Amino acid sequence: MDDSNSQKFRKDLNGGLVALVLLSVLDRSAEDLYGYEIAKRLASANEGTSIFKEGTIYPVLRALSADELLTSRIVPSYAGPPRRYYRITARGRLVLAQWRSIWRDARDFVDRFAPPEESSP
Amino acid sequence: MTANAPRSIADYLRQLRAELTGEDPALIQDALYDAEEYLRAEVAAHPDKTEADVLVMIAATYGTPAEVANAYRETEIRVKAALRTPHANHTAVISHSGFFGVFLDARAYTSLFFMLLSLATGIFYFLFAVTGLSISFGCAALVIGVPFFLMFMGLTRVLSLAEGRLIEAMTGERMPRRPAYPGSAQGFWVRIGLMLKDPRTWTTLAYLLLMLPLGLAYFLIASLGLAVSLSLIFAPLFAAAGRWNWVGGDAWSLEPSWIGSLWALPILVALGIVLLALVMHLARGIGRLHAGFAKAFLVSRPRLANA
Repeated sequence: MDDSNSQKFRKDLNGGLVALVLLSVLDRSAEDLYGYEIAKRLASANEGTSIFKEGTIYPVLRALSADELLTSRIVPSYAGPPRRYYRITARGRLVLAQWRSIWRDARDFVDRFAPPEESSP
Repeated sequence: MTANAPRSIADYLRQLRAELTGEDPALIQDALYDAEEYLRAEVAAHPDKTEADVLVMIAATYGTPAEVANAYRETEIRVKAALRTPHANHTAVISHSGFFGVFLDARAYTSLFFMLLSLATGIFYFLFAVTGLSISFGCAALVIGVPFFLMFMGLTRVLSLAEGRLIEAMTGERMPRRPAYPGSAQGFWVRIGLMLKDPRTWTTLAYLLLMLPLGLAYFLIASLGLAVSLSLIFAPLFAAAGRWNWVGGDAWSLEPSWIGSLWALPILVALGIVLLALVMHLARGIGRLHAGFAKAFLVSRPRLANA
Protein backbone atom coordinates (compact mmCIF):
# COMPACT_ATOMS: atom_id res chain seq x y z
CA MET A 1 0.00 0.00 0.00
CA ASP A 2 2.91 2.31 0.75
CA ASP A 3 4.42 1.71 -2.66
CA SER A 4 4.74 5.38 -3.63
CA ASN A 5 6.17 6.21 -0.19
CA SER A 6 8.82 3.51 -0.52
CA GLN A 7 9.61 4.64 -4.02
CA LYS A 8 10.10 8.21 -2.95
CA PHE A 9 12.25 7.17 0.01
CA ARG A 10 14.38 4.97 -2.23
CA LYS A 11 14.81 7.79 -4.76
CA ASP A 12 15.89 10.28 -2.08
CA LEU A 13 18.29 7.73 -0.64
CA ASN A 14 19.79 6.78 -4.00
CA GLY A 15 20.63 10.38 -4.94
CA GLY A 16 24.18 10.22 -3.60
CA LEU A 17 24.56 6.47 -3.06
CA VAL A 18 24.62 5.67 -6.78
CA ALA A 19 27.54 8.05 -7.24
CA LEU A 20 29.36 6.48 -4.25
CA VAL A 21 28.83 2.94 -5.59
CA LEU A 22 29.94 3.89 -9.12
CA LEU A 23 33.13 5.49 -7.82
CA SER A 24 33.84 2.39 -5.70
CA VAL A 25 33.30 0.01 -8.61
CA LEU A 26 35.67 1.99 -10.82
CA ASP A 27 38.17 2.31 -7.97
CA ARG A 28 38.29 -1.49 -7.54
CA SER A 29 38.40 -2.33 -11.22
CA ALA A 30 41.83 -2.86 -12.74
CA GLU A 31 40.70 -1.93 -16.25
CA ASP A 32 38.45 0.79 -17.65
CA LEU A 33 34.75 -0.06 -17.75
CA TYR A 34 31.88 1.11 -19.95
CA GLY A 35 28.34 1.83 -18.88
CA TYR A 36 26.81 -1.52 -19.71
CA GLU A 37 29.60 -3.46 -17.99
CA ILE A 38 29.22 -1.40 -14.82
CA ALA A 39 25.46 -1.90 -14.89
CA LYS A 40 25.89 -5.66 -15.22
CA ARG A 41 28.42 -5.85 -12.39
CA LEU A 42 26.00 -4.06 -10.10
CA ALA A 43 23.12 -6.24 -11.24
CA SER A 44 25.02 -9.48 -10.60
CA ALA A 45 26.15 -8.18 -7.20
CA ASN A 46 22.66 -7.57 -5.90
CA GLU A 47 21.20 -10.77 -7.38
CA GLY A 48 18.26 -9.45 -9.29
CA THR A 49 16.87 -7.30 -6.47
CA SER A 50 17.62 -4.07 -8.26
CA ILE A 51 18.07 -1.27 -5.75
CA PHE A 52 18.16 1.16 -8.66
CA LYS A 53 17.39 0.94 -12.35
CA GLU A 54 20.45 0.52 -14.53
CA GLY A 55 19.30 3.37 -16.77
CA THR A 56 19.85 5.81 -13.92
CA ILE A 57 23.60 5.19 -13.71
CA TYR A 58 24.40 6.70 -17.12
CA PRO A 59 23.48 10.30 -16.27
CA VAL A 60 25.36 9.95 -12.97
CA LEU A 61 28.45 8.70 -14.81
CA ARG A 62 28.29 11.77 -17.03
CA ALA A 63 27.85 14.07 -14.04
CA LEU A 64 30.88 12.50 -12.29
CA SER A 65 32.83 12.91 -15.49
CA ALA A 66 31.84 16.58 -15.72
CA ASP A 67 33.08 17.04 -12.14
CA GLU A 68 36.42 15.50 -13.20
CA LEU A 69 36.09 12.61 -10.77
CA LEU A 70 36.18 10.28 -13.78
CA THR A 71 37.89 10.45 -17.15
CA SER A 72 36.61 8.68 -20.20
CA ARG A 73 37.59 7.64 -23.70
CA ILE A 74 35.52 6.44 -26.64
CA VAL A 75 36.16 3.08 -28.24
CA PRO A 76 34.32 1.90 -31.38
CA SER A 77 32.13 -1.16 -30.93
CA TYR A 78 30.56 -3.66 -33.31
CA ALA A 79 27.48 -4.17 -31.14
CA GLY A 80 26.23 -0.59 -31.42
CA PRO A 81 27.33 2.99 -30.90
CA PRO A 82 30.95 3.59 -29.78
CA ARG A 83 31.36 2.81 -26.08
CA ARG A 84 32.58 5.27 -23.53
CA TYR A 85 35.06 3.70 -21.10
CA TYR A 86 35.42 5.29 -17.69
CA ARG A 87 38.35 5.41 -15.29
CA ILE A 88 38.60 7.05 -11.85
CA THR A 89 40.90 10.08 -11.51
CA ALA A 90 43.21 10.96 -8.61
CA ARG A 91 40.67 13.59 -7.57
CA GLY A 92 37.98 10.92 -7.77
CA ARG A 93 39.91 8.66 -5.36
CA LEU A 94 40.28 11.55 -2.92
CA VAL A 95 36.57 12.34 -3.07
CA LEU A 96 35.72 8.65 -2.75
CA ALA A 97 37.72 8.38 0.49
CA GLN A 98 35.81 11.35 1.92
CA TRP A 99 32.45 9.98 0.76
CA ARG A 100 33.22 6.58 2.29
CA SER A 101 33.86 8.08 5.70
CA ILE A 102 30.69 10.17 5.40
CA TRP A 103 28.76 7.04 4.46
CA ARG A 104 30.22 5.06 7.41
CA ASP A 105 29.25 7.81 9.83
CA ALA A 106 25.75 8.04 8.37
CA ARG A 107 25.29 4.25 8.45
CA ASP A 108 26.47 3.99 12.07
CA PHE A 109 24.19 6.84 13.03
CA VAL A 110 21.17 5.26 11.36
CA ASP A 111 21.97 1.85 12.83
CA ARG A 112 21.91 3.29 16.33
CA PHE A 113 18.25 4.28 15.91
CA ALA A 114 17.05 1.71 13.41
CA PRO A 115 19.16 -1.41 14.03
CA PRO A 116 19.30 -3.69 11.02
CA GLU A 117 18.79 -6.90 13.06
CA GLU A 118 15.52 -5.65 14.53
CA SER A 119 13.15 -8.49 13.63
CA SER A 120 9.49 -7.98 13.04
CA PRO A 121 7.18 -9.78 15.52
CA MET B 1 1.91 1.82 -19.48
CA THR B 2 2.18 -1.90 -20.11
CA ALA B 3 -0.27 -1.57 -22.98
CA ASN B 4 2.27 0.25 -25.13
CA ALA B 5 5.47 -1.20 -23.71
CA PRO B 6 8.26 -0.89 -26.30
CA ARG B 7 8.83 -4.01 -28.39
CA SER B 8 11.95 -2.95 -30.29
CA ILE B 9 14.97 -0.75 -29.73
CA ALA B 10 13.65 1.84 -32.19
CA ASP B 11 10.34 1.76 -30.31
CA TYR B 12 12.06 2.29 -26.96
CA LEU B 13 14.12 5.20 -28.28
CA ARG B 14 11.00 6.77 -29.79
CA GLN B 15 9.21 6.60 -26.44
CA LEU B 16 12.25 7.94 -24.59
CA ARG B 17 12.42 10.84 -27.03
CA ALA B 18 8.73 11.51 -26.51
CA GLU B 19 9.22 11.49 -22.71
CA LEU B 20 12.01 14.06 -23.05
CA THR B 21 10.02 16.41 -25.30
CA GLY B 22 10.80 20.01 -24.43
CA GLU B 23 14.18 19.22 -22.86
CA ASP B 24 17.42 20.58 -24.25
CA PRO B 25 18.19 18.88 -27.61
CA ALA B 26 21.74 18.17 -26.40
CA LEU B 27 20.42 16.33 -23.34
CA ILE B 28 18.06 14.31 -25.54
CA GLN B 29 20.94 13.32 -27.80
CA ASP B 30 22.99 12.15 -24.80
CA ALA B 31 20.10 10.18 -23.28
CA LEU B 32 19.27 8.43 -26.57
CA TYR B 33 22.93 7.60 -27.08
CA ASP B 34 23.31 6.03 -23.63
CA ALA B 35 20.07 4.08 -23.98
CA GLU B 36 21.08 2.75 -27.37
CA GLU B 37 24.48 1.63 -26.09
CA TYR B 38 22.82 -0.31 -23.28
CA LEU B 39 19.98 -1.78 -25.35
CA ARG B 40 22.21 -2.99 -28.17
CA ALA B 41 24.69 -4.51 -25.70
CA GLU B 42 21.80 -6.24 -23.91
CA VAL B 43 20.39 -7.64 -27.14
CA ALA B 44 23.87 -8.79 -28.18
CA ALA B 45 24.35 -10.48 -24.79
CA HIS B 46 21.21 -12.62 -25.30
CA PRO B 47 21.60 -14.16 -28.74
CA ASP B 48 19.04 -16.85 -27.85
CA LYS B 49 16.26 -14.32 -27.33
CA THR B 50 14.45 -12.08 -29.79
CA GLU B 51 14.69 -8.30 -29.55
CA ALA B 52 11.09 -8.17 -28.29
CA ASP B 53 11.85 -10.67 -25.48
CA VAL B 54 14.89 -8.70 -24.38
CA LEU B 55 12.86 -5.49 -24.29
CA VAL B 56 10.40 -7.11 -21.91
CA MET B 57 13.23 -7.48 -19.37
CA ILE B 58 14.50 -3.96 -20.05
CA ALA B 59 11.72 -2.32 -18.06
CA ALA B 60 12.90 -4.19 -14.95
CA THR B 61 16.65 -3.70 -15.47
CA TYR B 62 17.34 -0.49 -17.41
CA GLY B 63 14.03 1.14 -16.52
CA THR B 64 11.01 2.28 -18.53
CA PRO B 65 11.44 5.27 -20.86
CA ALA B 66 9.61 7.42 -18.30
CA GLU B 67 11.94 6.40 -15.46
CA VAL B 68 15.06 6.95 -17.56
CA ALA B 69 13.81 10.34 -18.76
CA ASN B 70 13.25 11.35 -15.14
CA ALA B 71 16.77 10.28 -14.15
CA TYR B 72 18.28 12.50 -16.87
CA ARG B 73 16.08 15.45 -15.98
CA GLU B 74 16.99 15.23 -12.28
CA THR B 75 20.72 14.69 -12.80
CA GLU B 76 20.81 17.59 -15.25
CA ILE B 77 19.18 19.90 -12.73
CA ARG B 78 21.63 18.82 -9.99
CA VAL B 79 24.69 19.16 -12.24
CA LYS B 80 23.53 22.52 -13.55
CA ALA B 81 22.97 23.78 -10.03
CA ALA B 82 26.44 22.55 -9.00
CA LEU B 83 28.16 24.08 -12.02
CA ARG B 84 26.24 27.35 -12.05
CA THR B 85 26.96 28.56 -8.52
CA PRO B 86 29.87 30.82 -9.47
CA HIS B 87 27.95 32.35 -12.37
CA ALA B 88 25.02 33.21 -10.12
CA ASN B 89 27.30 35.76 -8.44
CA HIS B 90 28.26 37.25 -11.78
CA THR B 91 24.68 37.84 -12.81
CA ALA B 92 24.00 39.48 -9.46
CA VAL B 93 26.90 41.86 -10.04
CA ILE B 94 25.69 42.67 -13.55
CA SER B 95 22.20 43.54 -12.45
CA HIS B 96 23.67 45.87 -9.84
CA SER B 97 26.21 47.71 -11.91
CA GLY B 98 24.39 47.79 -15.25
CA PHE B 99 26.26 48.73 -18.40
CA PHE B 100 29.81 48.37 -17.04
CA GLY B 101 28.97 45.13 -15.22
CA VAL B 102 29.98 43.39 -18.43
CA PHE B 103 33.62 43.80 -17.29
CA LEU B 104 32.92 41.34 -14.46
CA ASP B 105 31.22 38.76 -16.67
CA ALA B 106 33.51 35.86 -17.51
CA ARG B 107 31.25 34.99 -20.46
CA ALA B 108 32.07 38.29 -22.16
CA TYR B 109 35.80 37.56 -22.00
CA THR B 110 35.45 33.97 -23.18
CA SER B 111 33.14 35.07 -26.00
CA LEU B 112 35.70 37.66 -27.07
CA PHE B 113 38.36 34.96 -27.02
CA PHE B 114 36.10 32.69 -29.06
CA MET B 115 35.69 35.46 -31.67
CA LEU B 116 39.46 35.86 -31.99
CA LEU B 117 39.99 32.11 -32.14
CA SER B 118 37.27 31.55 -34.73
CA LEU B 119 39.46 32.94 -37.50
CA ALA B 120 41.87 30.02 -37.00
CA THR B 121 39.16 27.38 -36.52
CA GLY B 122 37.14 28.88 -39.40
CA ILE B 123 40.04 28.58 -41.85
CA PHE B 124 40.78 25.04 -40.65
CA TYR B 125 37.14 23.88 -40.90
CA PHE B 126 36.76 25.41 -44.35
CA LEU B 127 39.92 23.78 -45.70
CA PHE B 128 38.95 20.47 -44.09
CA ALA B 129 35.46 20.50 -45.60
CA VAL B 130 36.53 21.63 -49.07
CA THR B 131 39.44 19.18 -49.25
CA GLY B 132 37.37 16.28 -47.95
CA LEU B 133 34.45 16.97 -50.25
CA SER B 134 36.54 17.46 -53.38
CA ILE B 135 38.63 14.33 -52.79
CA SER B 136 35.45 12.35 -52.03
CA PHE B 137 33.79 13.47 -55.26
CA GLY B 138 36.99 13.11 -57.22
CA CYS B 139 37.48 9.52 -56.06
CA ALA B 140 33.79 8.59 -56.09
CA ALA B 141 34.30 6.34 -59.10
CA LEU B 142 37.40 4.65 -57.63
CA VAL B 143 37.61 1.90 -55.04
CA ILE B 144 38.98 4.21 -52.36
CA GLY B 145 36.19 6.78 -52.87
CA VAL B 146 33.69 5.27 -50.46
CA PRO B 147 36.08 4.45 -47.58
CA PHE B 148 37.61 7.91 -47.91
CA PHE B 149 34.19 9.55 -47.80
CA LEU B 150 33.25 7.52 -44.71
CA MET B 151 36.47 8.49 -42.96
CA PHE B 152 35.82 12.11 -43.89
CA MET B 153 32.29 11.98 -42.46
CA GLY B 154 33.58 10.31 -39.28
CA LEU B 155 36.11 13.09 -38.79
CA THR B 156 33.38 15.64 -39.48
CA ARG B 157 31.39 14.23 -36.56
CA VAL B 158 34.42 14.38 -34.28
CA LEU B 159 35.01 18.02 -35.32
CA SER B 160 31.38 18.87 -34.72
CA LEU B 161 31.56 17.38 -31.22
CA ALA B 162 34.80 19.24 -30.48
CA GLU B 163 33.33 22.52 -31.74
CA GLY B 164 30.33 21.87 -29.48
CA ARG B 165 32.59 21.38 -26.44
CA LEU B 166 34.44 24.61 -27.32
CA ILE B 167 31.17 26.53 -27.64
CA GLU B 168 29.86 25.18 -24.34
CA ALA B 169 33.09 26.21 -22.60
CA MET B 170 33.02 29.68 -24.17
CA THR B 171 29.33 30.61 -24.08
CA GLY B 172 27.79 28.24 -21.52
CA GLU B 173 25.29 26.89 -24.05
CA ARG B 174 24.57 23.20 -23.38
CA MET B 175 25.99 21.14 -26.28
CA PRO B 176 26.10 17.34 -26.71
CA ARG B 177 28.66 15.41 -24.70
CA ARG B 178 28.31 12.39 -26.96
CA PRO B 179 28.46 12.06 -30.72
CA ALA B 180 25.14 11.45 -32.43
CA TYR B 181 24.65 7.87 -33.51
CA PRO B 182 22.47 7.23 -36.56
CA GLY B 183 21.14 4.15 -34.79
CA SER B 184 20.73 1.17 -37.00
CA ALA B 185 21.86 -2.43 -37.05
CA GLN B 186 21.20 -2.66 -40.78
CA GLY B 187 23.81 -3.32 -43.41
CA PHE B 188 26.71 -1.19 -44.47
CA TRP B 189 25.04 0.35 -47.54
CA VAL B 190 21.79 1.06 -45.70
CA ARG B 191 23.79 2.96 -43.09
CA ILE B 192 25.55 5.04 -45.72
CA GLY B 193 22.17 5.77 -47.29
CA LEU B 194 20.74 6.86 -43.93
CA MET B 195 23.74 9.08 -43.28
CA LEU B 196 23.27 10.74 -46.68
CA LYS B 197 19.57 11.24 -45.95
CA ASP B 198 20.22 12.68 -42.51
CA PRO B 199 19.87 16.47 -42.82
CA ARG B 200 22.33 16.89 -39.93
CA THR B 201 25.14 15.50 -42.10
CA TRP B 202 24.66 18.37 -44.52
CA THR B 203 24.01 21.10 -41.97
CA THR B 204 27.25 20.10 -40.22
CA LEU B 205 29.16 20.46 -43.49
CA ALA B 206 27.44 23.79 -44.11
CA TYR B 207 28.48 24.92 -40.64
CA LEU B 208 32.12 24.04 -41.33
CA LEU B 209 32.03 26.04 -44.56
CA LEU B 210 30.19 29.01 -43.04
CA MET B 211 32.72 29.24 -40.23
CA LEU B 212 35.23 30.84 -42.63
CA PRO B 213 33.24 34.04 -43.39
CA LEU B 214 31.82 34.08 -39.84
CA GLY B 215 35.23 33.57 -38.25
CA LEU B 216 36.67 36.30 -40.43
CA ALA B 217 33.89 38.71 -39.43
CA TYR B 218 34.18 37.80 -35.71
CA PHE B 219 37.93 38.26 -35.79
CA LEU B 220 37.64 41.64 -37.54
CA ILE B 221 34.97 42.92 -35.14
CA ALA B 222 36.87 41.75 -32.07
CA SER B 223 40.33 42.92 -33.13
CA LEU B 224 39.13 46.28 -34.50
CA GLY B 225 37.00 46.95 -31.42
CA LEU B 226 39.84 46.04 -29.07
CA ALA B 227 42.43 48.03 -31.01
CA VAL B 228 40.38 51.24 -31.14
CA SER B 229 39.12 51.15 -27.55
CA LEU B 230 42.47 50.13 -26.03
CA SER B 231 44.40 52.78 -27.96
CA LEU B 232 41.92 55.40 -26.70
CA ILE B 233 42.31 54.15 -23.12
CA PHE B 234 46.10 54.29 -23.36
CA ALA B 235 46.15 57.68 -25.13
CA PRO B 236 47.70 59.44 -22.06
CA LEU B 237 50.59 57.00 -22.22
CA PHE B 238 51.20 57.82 -25.88
CA ALA B 239 50.93 61.54 -25.17
CA ALA B 240 53.42 61.31 -22.30
CA ALA B 241 55.78 59.18 -24.35
CA GLY B 242 55.68 61.73 -27.13
CA ARG B 243 56.13 64.72 -24.86
CA TRP B 244 59.03 63.41 -22.76
CA ASN B 245 60.56 61.33 -25.48
CA TRP B 246 60.37 57.96 -23.57
CA VAL B 247 60.68 55.85 -26.64
CA GLY B 248 64.02 57.24 -27.69
CA GLY B 249 65.07 58.33 -31.14
CA ASP B 250 63.39 61.33 -32.64
CA ALA B 251 60.74 63.02 -30.55
CA TRP B 252 57.28 62.18 -31.93
CA SER B 253 53.98 63.89 -31.46
CA LEU B 254 50.34 62.92 -31.81
CA GLU B 255 48.35 64.20 -34.77
CA PRO B 256 46.23 66.27 -34.60
CA SER B 257 48.05 68.03 -31.80
CA TRP B 258 44.93 68.65 -29.64
CA ILE B 259 44.94 64.91 -28.82
CA GLY B 260 47.89 65.43 -26.50
CA SER B 261 46.31 68.37 -24.71
CA LEU B 262 45.25 67.96 -21.10
CA TRP B 263 41.56 68.64 -21.62
CA ALA B 264 41.23 66.05 -24.37
CA LEU B 265 42.92 63.11 -22.64
CA PRO B 266 40.25 62.39 -19.98
CA ILE B 267 37.55 62.51 -22.66
CA LEU B 268 39.49 60.09 -24.85
CA VAL B 269 40.02 57.69 -21.93
CA ALA B 270 36.34 57.82 -20.98
CA LEU B 271 35.37 57.24 -24.61
CA GLY B 272 37.74 54.27 -24.75
CA ILE B 273 36.24 52.67 -21.65
CA VAL B 274 32.69 53.11 -22.96
CA LEU B 275 33.74 51.70 -26.33
CA LEU B 276 35.43 48.71 -24.66
CA ALA B 277 32.27 48.01 -22.67
CA LEU B 278 30.28 48.18 -25.91
CA VAL B 279 32.69 45.73 -27.54
CA MET B 280 32.31 43.33 -24.59
CA HIS B 281 28.51 43.57 -24.79
CA LEU B 282 28.71 42.92 -28.50
CA ALA B 283 31.00 39.91 -27.91
CA ARG B 284 28.60 38.43 -25.35
CA GLY B 285 25.68 38.96 -27.73
CA ILE B 286 27.52 37.43 -30.66
CA GLY B 287 28.57 34.50 -28.45
CA ARG B 288 24.92 33.82 -27.61
CA LEU B 289 23.78 34.18 -31.22
CA HIS B 290 26.54 31.92 -32.45
CA ALA B 291 25.74 29.28 -29.84
CA GLY B 292 22.14 29.23 -31.08
CA PHE B 293 23.34 28.99 -34.65
CA ALA B 294 25.76 26.16 -33.83
CA LYS B 295 23.03 24.28 -31.99
CA ALA B 296 20.68 24.56 -34.95
CA PHE B 297 23.34 23.26 -37.35
CA LEU B 298 25.31 20.70 -35.29
CA VAL B 299 22.78 19.10 -32.93
CA SER B 300 20.24 16.72 -34.40
CA ARG B 301 16.69 17.89 -34.10
CA PRO B 302 14.31 15.45 -32.47
CA ARG B 303 13.22 13.38 -35.44
CA LEU B 304 11.30 10.15 -35.72
CA ALA B 305 13.52 7.14 -35.19
CA ASN B 306 14.15 5.22 -38.35
CA ALA B 307 11.63 2.47 -38.72
